[in-house]
Amino acid sequence: MTFLDITQIGFSNLWKTRLRTALTILGVVIGIGALTSMVSFGTGMQKNITDAFKKNDLFTSMNVTPGKINLESIQEGDLSGLSDLTKEKPFPLTDSILEVIRAIPEVEIAFPEETFAARIQFKQEELNTNVRIFPTAMQYYSPFNNLLAGQFYSSDSTRAVVVSWETLKNLGIYVEDPTYEFHFTHEDSLKGATIISPDSVLGKKIQIITASINPNIIRNPFGFLMGNRLDPFGEHTEEFEIIGITRRYDDFNVNRFRAGIYMPVVTAKNIPRLNFSSVWDILDSNKKDGTFSSIYVRVKEINAMTKVREQIEAMGAGVFSIADQLKEIKRGFLIMDSLLGAIGSVALIIAALGIINTMLMSILERTREIGIMKAIGGSENEIKLIFFVEAAFIGFIGAIFGLGLGWLVTRIANQIINAQLIPMGQIPVDLFYFPLWLIFGAMVFSIVISLAAGLYPAIRAARIDPVRALRHD
Amino acid sequence: MSQVNLESDIKVRNLSRIYSKASITIPAIHDVTFDIKKGEFVSIVGKSGSGKSTLLNLIAGLDKPTSGTIIFEGNDMAKMSRYKLALHRRFSVGMIFQSFNLIPSRSAIENIILALAFGGIPRKERKSIAVSLLKSVGLDHRLHHLPNELSGGEAQRVAIARALANNPEVILADEPTGNLDSITSKEIMDMLIKLNKEHQITILMVTHDKETAETCSDKIIRLKDGSIIRTLN
Repeated sequence: MTFLDITQIGFSNLWKTRLRTALTILGVVIGIGALTSMVSFGTGMQKNITDAFKKNDLFTSMNVTPGKINLESIQEGDLSGLSDLTKEKPFPLTDSILEVIRAIPEVEIAFPEETFAARIQFKQEELNTNVRIFPTAMQYYSPFNNLLAGQFYSSDSTRAVVVSWETLKNLGIYVEDPTYEFHFTHEDSLKGATIISPDSVLGKKIQIITASINPNIIRNPFGFLMGNRLDPFGEHTEEFEIIGITRRYDDFNVNRFRAGIYMPVVTAKNIPRLNFSSVWDILDSNKKDGTFSSIYVRVKEINAMTKVREQIEAMGAGVFSIADQLKEIKRGFLIMDSLLGAIGSVALIIAALGIINTMLMSILERTREIGIMKAIGGSENEIKLIFFVEAAFIGFIGAIFGLGLGWLVTRIANQIINAQLIPMGQIPVDLFYFPLWLIFGAMVFSIVISLAAGLYPAIRAARIDPVRALRHD
Repeated sequence: MSQVNLESDIKVRNLSRIYSKASITIPAIHDVTFDIKKGEFVSIVGKSGSGKSTLLNLIAGLDKPTSGTIIFEGNDMAKMSRYKLALHRRFSVGMIFQSFNLIPSRSAIENIILALAFGGIPRKERKSIAVSLLKSVGLDHRLHHLPNELSGGEAQRVAIARALANNPEVILADEPTGNLDSITSKEIMDMLIKLNKEHQITILMVTHDKETAETCSDKIIRLKDGSIIRTLN
């Protein structure tokens, strides 16, 4: 008896009890549907986050800091590492260090990370925001290579800036974005809020007002005796042209360069401002003029990360990268996937009980037939195989339709979620993801579970006493 | 027929089959010894419960003896694995039952094809072999009928065709005419006699009909309460 014969016998048996077979398969369909939709939610979340990481090149970038920071101990709540940083002699990040880093062949781009706080004024509206000093080379990288409107500056000394969409929105300037639907409140409408095209912003002047130490106070500390204001801080206003608008951040966007305004390097140098630019400066009391608080480094490819990191650390500087956290993130996802998978598996286990039940019923009905098969020379293995084929078929068909059901359910769920998100002004997301391994894994899992469910009935069928079976009605 | 020149095909020695249920033991077969030679037509007669069918099942390898041995064509059946016993039923013996035991959901030809499939006959050849087998029992007009669409005689003829599918040397018939009227019974018996005489197939038939046994058998084994009380040659 060939395997094809066994398959034919199995199929004809299932066909004879179509309704019961269909109901048993339906159980598997629901089980696999539940399992795959659950797991696809986990994989979808993971994909969204890792994609966002990739989109922002977080896997290929690192930050060089003046000292080594034990991030793990900080995460555990031990902040002593931070105070050590202030006590220990820091490694000064100077221009020459920057040049050394730039000279590493695997380094694609390196520049000091600097931001400063400023107040901006545009069309009679004012807002506090932060200004990020960015080299022109960043125009080639995501998300700055794909602006909503206009372009990135191509000279480090131009008096032009790029403004974020959010900043304009916060200023009450609603720039049209095809992916976003504005919902104005009554108050907004009273103020005359309207949606404008990006072109009516581009080329316009924006005032950037910075706080600085009043040079008069430094020059003449007793100036107050001469009737000068006591305020040691002065304000400085400069005007720039808006030449580009960045795209709206979506929910999974972990753009670590978030800022209100992006400004060229040389232009920024000439703006008087308070001399701390990042959180590191506050912690680092030893920071001297002419040194940077942090250098952003991007490597050419992900595999070069470790090498470049080791080279920089050998100089005595500290290195921090999000990629270090990837292991932790992956572990978190593994736990989430396992949990979702376990919940989904419950449904499949119930389906497996359904298979056992169906098979045992089938054996009871076919006892005499099994007896006849044995009497005409059917071996135990052949009879076992017939039942295995039936179980595997239930599992296989169940998996195919189960994947279909899982997909359908996730599409509907995604539609419902997006229907809630879009009115809230969020970018539509795809929360579910069916990678190939999930599709094949579900198939294999379903067949394996079905075969396992068929094991006991198959053994029982094979061991039927033919003498009794032939007397069975 | 000179028995001296014939080699024994089946040797049954001190065979016993005791069924035990709870504390009660029922000896269905008790210390039975006999020989069946190649090409013999042997009938086992006796009343209901005398152990006739049990004896047949033991020789078929469907049941295992409590003690004693059956040497089938030189092989000790007690030493055969379950798989070897399946092969024994597949190739060495063909079985015919009182209640026909055809698979009800399969047509006449499909019932025979199933036996051919177990016998490892290539798929392409099965149909033509099945047709010629059914032709040989005069059923070439009933190929695609289901067992419940056939008369008793027709069903038993399908069963005979199936028993012959894998060219066995022995046919084990358990009351083959028990469910048939006298005319049909005679047809079936003629068919078995023909197989025995023309094709030298050994036949071991269980019956309670003394007259049938006497007209066609070379040897009659009479059983009572599981023991042989008489052997007629």
